[in-house]
Amino acid sequence: MVGDPHEDLLERFVQGDQDALEVLFERFAAEVHGWILRIVRDSGAAEEVLVESFWRAYRGRARFDASRSFGAWMRRIATNASLDHLQAARRHARWSSVDHDAPAPASPNPELRESVAIAFRRLPPKLQVVAALALIEERPHAEIAEALALPIGTVKSRVSRASARLRKELSSLGIRP
Amino acid sequence: MTDDQPLRLLLRSALPPVTDLGLAKDLWPSIVHRRPALSGWPWLDLGVAAAVALVLALFPDWLWLLAYHL
Repeated sequence: MVGDPHEDLLERFVQGDQDALEVLFERFAAEVHGWILRIVRDSGAAEEVLVESFWRAYRGRARFDASRSFGAWMRRIATNASLDHLQAARRHARWSSVDHDAPAPASPNPELRESVAIAFRRLPPKLQVVAALALIEERPHAEIAEALALPIGTVKSRVSRASARLRKELSSLGIRP
Repeated sequence: MTDDQPLRLLLRSALPPVTDLGLAKDLWPSIVHRRPALSGWPWLDLGVAAAVALVLALFPDWLWLLAYHL
């Protein structure tokens, strides 16, 4: 995590200075984009969500405490924006068969890969977020908890529910992990 | 946690962790481009708030229904 910029910059951001927003965007865009990409797993969508996240931050700047970490605050906003994206994508039933920008899978079996991807996309978005971050990206529960503004216990519970749901979905597709 | 290991391996073999996290292009122009859209939001927010206030003024008992949904 990049160290937070000077408090003066953050104060100017809170007061609505768009130059300050630009500086913060330059400093944090790559890091926030990486976090979003881990959740939405599509670079086009990640770019849209990144832009949305910074606008949400700018609109909600009055709620930011300039003595706190801007990076952590942005990550929380980006996580919520990513969740909204997944929910909207589910509503419009236009899930990409996904992972256009993910690395080539190790699995040599494309049918198995597709089935696992289908099972994953059938998860409710809230479970999909924790499954992506905890099971695929292997991010620490504490980091996920902070990004979702949830207690660690709740994150663990969601990971457990996501695993159970995935097993059920995979089982319905004839796969037993 | 150990019970999850086979599931994790299966997931990660089909949906590998994202490694290339970099930004392919400068998105600041997209942020600037969205600026006009931003000015429309407060009016929409105000409209919704006014509508809710009006409905609650006419039907005060609905406050509980609203509170339940919030």
